Amino acid sequence: MSQRDVPDYVPGNVEVWTKANAEYTDASARESWAREEVTWGLWGIPDAELGVLGDVAGLDVVELGCGTAYFGARLARQGAHVVGVDPTLAQLETARRMQREFGLDVELVEGIGEAVPLPDASFDLAISEYGASIWADPNRWIPEAARLLRARGRLVFLRNSTLLTLCARLEGAAGESLQRPQRGLFRIKWPDTGEVEFEPPVGVLIDILHGSGFQVERLLELYAPEGAETHHYYDYVTAEWAQKWPNEEIWVARKIAK
Amino acid sequence: MSSPDYLERNVENWTRWNARSSDDRAGEVWASEMTWGVFHVPESELDVLGDVAGLDVVELGCGTAYFSAWLARAGARPVGVDPTPAQLETARRLQAETGIQFPLVEAAGEDVPLPSASFDLALSEYGASIWADPYRWIPEAARLLRTGGRLVFLRNSTLVMLCMPETGVAEPTLLRPQFGMYRLEWPDDDGGGVEFQLPHGPLIDVLTSSGFAVERLVELQAPEGAEDPGPYSYVTAEWARQWPNEEIWVARKVDRVAA
Repeated sequence: MSQRDVPDYVPGNVEVWTKANAEYTDASARESWAREEVTWGLWGIPDAELGVLGDVAGLDVVELGCGTAYFGARLARQGAHVVGVDPTLAQLETARRMQREFGLDVELVEGIGEAVPLPDASFDLAISEYGASIWADPNRWIPEAARLLRARGRLVFLRNSTLLTLCARLEGAAGESLQRPQRGLFRIKWPDTGEVEFEPPVGVLIDILHGSGFQVERLLELYAPEGAETHHYYDYVTAEWAQKWPNEEIWVARKIAK
Repeated sequence: MSSPDYLERNVENWTRWNARSSDDRAGEVWASEMTWGVFHVPESELDVLGDVAGLDVVELGCGTAYFSAWLARAGARPVGVDPTPAQLETARRLQAETGIQFPLVEAAGEDVPLPSASFDLALSEYGASIWADPYRWIPEAARLLRTGGRLVFLRNSTLVMLCMPETGVAEPTLLRPQFGMYRLEWPDDDGGGVEFQLPHGPLIDVLTSSGFAVERLVELQAPEGAEDPGPYSYVTAEWARQWPNEEIWVARKVDRVAA
């Protein structure tokens, strides 16, 4: 891929994640890798409870926007063949260090979710957990996931809920008042960090999935469980808010013959 | 099948509402072009239904049956189903006045006395889609449809329900939790009735487990320059220009073996 095919928002987002890695994700990687159970989102809800992924043993998995690759590591531990893709070198460095420490085999590829240097129809499962699902243009990364998947393969991704995006504040955690219109909601550049997120509403996202050859099978809106505590680093949403309203959602879609 | 506990209350509510407004307005609405929702977005703009000529259509919760009348004018063969006799009376009067004839059946969308696999399109616009239990009426729609048939329905957005006070219009604030949202009961002095509102995730679950593949979700907003929908409305144009107050779902009945 030539440099001009790299979307304009990628360098800024890589910068943000390089900083976040220095501040938090590098130091927390060991704990994330050590956790054996596959869990979802800010509240660490076990996959076993949600029944999203099921048995992944023997599956070829690509993780789009793997960061420090803790999610891929958990799948590899269960017998999946995982390739992690991420554009942030600092996070891939952390991932490599963890790999050596834990002796887990996850192939790491430097790349963006919008244009992945891997062959067509070579995966059973494409995953994105706070990865391409938020920081890549869905009109590019979702068709790219479709290309990478075999027919009947699954795309599973976690992102913020639209409701959280509507209520998110620049200072402090999300509140109860709507901070911005949903009309036109798609690409958001946050003025504080300069990062670019993509938060298409559910209707727009269904259009993109359907138009890319996916059938939507499930949408799980995640709430904070009773007794959950607000995350000390990701404090843009409180546990109290997320007990009333879903702050995250998991999408499950299957690649169907066009 | 037993009659749902909320049915009598909703029929009473719609009988009152028909006397207060929908009977008077029926002539005007029957004569209108085909539009969606309280801000009247034209079907020609959204292209949700496409060409309906020759399709067998069942409308679940047809009220005064204006949507069925629009479909009949477009060449479809509609059957209107509604549990409120007063509204069906109004529909019959309009049929006589306009000469647009189609069958009207007094029944609830949860339990329709019509044969299985006999329709190409099941439609609900502010009908069973909000006044009937989705765990009952959506499987019933699947039963009525032929394989490959479509279910199309309009309902309130979950967002507007989160922002709705007990009385009055929607605010730019979350006023009730989404956790557990399913059945909402409104005070009788403000229209009353029992509504059902499943958030997106649980609604997709019901559709999928009933044999539907979701094809489209159109989140509707008030067009620029739209006026408030009228004195009894639950939402202002100003609110709905910023956030969707309604949504249209399009799902297709799939062959379960092949799916």
